[in-house]
Amino acid sequence: MNLTDKLIVLADAAKYDVSCASSGAPKRSSRSRDGLGATNGAGICHSFTPDGRCVSLLKILLTNFCLYDCQYCVNRRSSDVPRARFTPEEVVRLTLDFYRRNFVSGLFLSSGIIRSADYTMEQLVRVARLLRTEHGFRGYIHLKTIPDAAPELIAEAGLYADRLSVNIELPTEAGLTQLAPEKNGQTIRRAMGRIRLGVEESDAEPRAPRFAPAGQSTQMIIGADATDDFTILGSAQRLYGAYGLKRVYYSAFSPIPQSPRSVPLSAPPLLREHRLYQADFLMRGYGFRAGELLSAPGNLALDIDPKLAWALRHRDQFPVDLNRAEASTIARVPGIGVRNAKRLVQLRQIRRIRWDDLVRLRCSMSTLKPFIAVQDYRPGLGEAASETLRHALTATPATQLALW
Amino acid sequence: MRTVHVGGYAQWRDISRSLLHEGVEPERLVWLDANAPGAGDLFADTPVSAPTAAPSRITIPKRFSDLLDGAARCRQPHRWALMYRALWRMAQGDRSAMLVADIDGGELHRRAHLLRREAHHMEAFVRFRSVITPAGPSLLLAWHEPAHDVLALVVDHFMARMGRQAWMIVTPDAAACSDGERLTLIDDPAPALGTLARNLSDPTDELWRAYYRNTFNPARVNLQLTRRHMPARFWRDLPEGDLIPTMSNQARLARPNRSQTEDVARQPGRQVAVSPMRAQPLRSPASPLDACRRCARWRDATCAIAGKGPEFAKMMVIGAQPGDREDLAGRPFVGAEGTLLDQALEAAGLSRAQLYLTYALKHFKGRAEDSDTAGRRPAAADASEYRACSTWLAEELAQIRPNVVLVLGMEALSALEMTAPASTAPSQRDIAALSNAWRHGERWVVSAPALEAIGESMGEQRSRLLAQLQVGLETAHRLSEAADGSAESQTRVVVADL
Repeated sequence: MNLTDKLIVLADAAKYDVSCASSGAPKRSSRSRDGLGATNGAGICHSFTPDGRCVSLLKILLTNFCLYDCQYCVNRRSSDVPRARFTPEEVVRLTLDFYRRNFVSGLFLSSGIIRSADYTMEQLVRVARLLRTEHGFRGYIHLKTIPDAAPELIAEAGLYADRLSVNIELPTEAGLTQLAPEKNGQTIRRAMGRIRLGVEESDAEPRAPRFAPAGQSTQMIIGADATDDFTILGSAQRLYGAYGLKRVYYSAFSPIPQSPRSVPLSAPPLLREHRLYQADFLMRGYGFRAGELLSAPGNLALDIDPKLAWALRHRDQFPVDLNRAEASTIARVPGIGVRNAKRLVQLRQIRRIRWDDLVRLRCSMSTLKPFIAVQDYRPGLGEAASETLRHALTATPATQLALW
Repeated sequence: MRTVHVGGYAQWRDISRSLLHEGVEPERLVWLDANAPGAGDLFADTPVSAPTAAPSRITIPKRFSDLLDGAARCRQPHRWALMYRALWRMAQGDRSAMLVADIDGGELHRRAHLLRREAHHMEAFVRFRSVITPAGPSLLLAWHEPAHDVLALVVDHFMARMGRQAWMIVTPDAAACSDGERLTLIDDPAPALGTLARNLSDPTDELWRAYYRNTFNPARVNLQLTRRHMPARFWRDLPEGDLIPTMSNQARLARPNRSQTEDVARQPGRQVAVSPMRAQPLRSPASPLDACRRCARWRDATCAIAGKGPEFAKMMVIGAQPGDREDLAGRPFVGAEGTLLDQALEAAGLSRAQLYLTYALKHFKGRAEDSDTAGRRPAAADASEYRACSTWLAEELAQIRPNVVLVLGMEALSALEMTAPASTAPSQRDIAALSNAWRHGERWVVSAPALEAIGESMGEQRSRLLAQLQVGLETAHRLSEAADGSAESQTRVVVADL
């Protein structure tokens, strides 16, 4: 098999991991130095494929041979897919060649489990070590961490990688037992715990080598089992709290060739995945708790976004007077984001906020209308009931969706 | 009306300074772009010359000067007029002219945003191709057509990125070149250079195209989103650009809802022949404690924390529940509370090796309101959780058979009572002898403050609680030494002694 053929198989096999972030790395520069690559904290999307997803890193598997039989995964051992395996040197060459031509900002490397967890992890670490120590590579490296691998290997991985990630795979323990018989929830959580400890220990000691400076992330597959959004968001909140994750990625299950009977034959609506990302964003950036976004078991509404849904359930907290409210309260108004909330607070230190200011800030006027009061506008007393509003504010269901 | 011709930011700044000094209102000026086609002869008609006398200094905030710099680089209509109007208003003391909610400020911000976006596009979409030079090491050459004047803004990025590699980026009206050490900016590069850069071929492009085709998920085709993030005007100069329409058409027509690409689906597949038994990773089997689901606390925990210490320890220390650190490390008393315990142990002349350390609750649970990892505090547990967990504590007591149990805090004490409720209450006689120790069935129970309470207290209160813990440890130790022979009389002596 030549390099192109391997690349074809192992790129296709790796794309189910949706993380593509290349941000959060410390400042590194190769200016007038040997070696190659730089990071400055911000990520770069070097290209976009026709599915609207960004290509930021060379995202590949080291191999798609795998001992495990995770039912939702195209690379499971019982799957009838073409198999390939890179040597670590081949991955290094591809990364450097792609990086030099400005195709990517670094490498995202994962792997099927071959021989043992330790052996697989050793191979992944070897690639990162070659890049960093032999080639002086200062670009971004994201290593997938094999949860069963020895703590020493995870410790070494953290020295080379900017980001480590352990996939939680499914939102519940029961789902994991059922669909991924070789995986174990506690082992996964312990690996995450180890990474968090590694990050904190290196942060506490300024002269210590940085450990996974861009933190860790994880991924959950949505719709491979019957778990509802209430459980998913609760689980995500717990993971953010316990392990300081930078991101939880939600990947709508995609039906795979020769799909086993244990997983559904059709994909969940991508809109559900989109709503989960919105809810997740509200938890990370807006201070919402999972319980506020969904207070009882069930799924997020598909017809309206989670912030609007929350506001419609809490009409008693509106209208918010934009000339008086705290920035965090303003950010909870549907149609106003965190950035505009800050800008409004800045503006009102100079003068009172008026309706036209919101128009100029490109706030979503039709959405926020019932929820705010400004100098020259208050919603009417006979303002519509939440049900009517919901109906009016429901966008015509889109067939094509933004991912995030 | 006065007409002003401007060819660049520096020139605009000089002219604006003197105009401002003269007090010329923005409404009385017509600004023309000297570089724009049809602008006429720049020097034939320059009513406003460079300033003759140094005008008084105008100070503007750094953020505003950044906005002006950005607006000057942005090839948008009326840039000079807009900039002067905003500057005029700022000079009059109207600071809202730099705010995004203002008419002029908003327009400046919009342009600054356009510019940042275009610079970002350039950092992302420049594609280098390798040229083997006769001189030796290869040169990487790129062609790029930005919509605004952003080349100067991105050169530092590429200097940092490329190390000692020589490279050159050619745009229609400027070029940047680095030999790996020094950067050179060239205005109006020779057209032949542009032609060369546009038409180079590099075998790595084919590898990249193979990657691009297969990292794509045909089941999620969404060309609209692709266009939004990567405007079609860039496609022509991207090695992957011409693939986009074909790929999206094929994905729509060929096999809907299939994530695997055709390149892969065409190839023969094979299963990995391994038995489910052999595939299981080597993992120490989950202990019954790990597998405990008697209450829901396990959901919040990383793992269960088993007790730790010698199998026949004479003293057992029981805390209420593990904390954040213990939860991650999987061992008892390792965090700040562990340090407190060690401190008290040292003061009492004891070591961990003499003790069996455990918790009443085996799983950590964080408080719902703590969203930040840094301050993950244990949530208060209810009686049902203590009851569910008391089985494990009872088992440890039966196995270790300590002479003395030191309970840290009221929660730990009530949990201990759940293991053998009958003989809990300290008898009158024992209370009289000692306020913090009493008989509990066959063993002594000594109470001391909870480590959590010590950790949260400060100053005098803290020293008092720490001292109480130390006394508790000492008492427990002496009782355990004395009770070793389990002779009642001996114990009495110690009690009297204390």
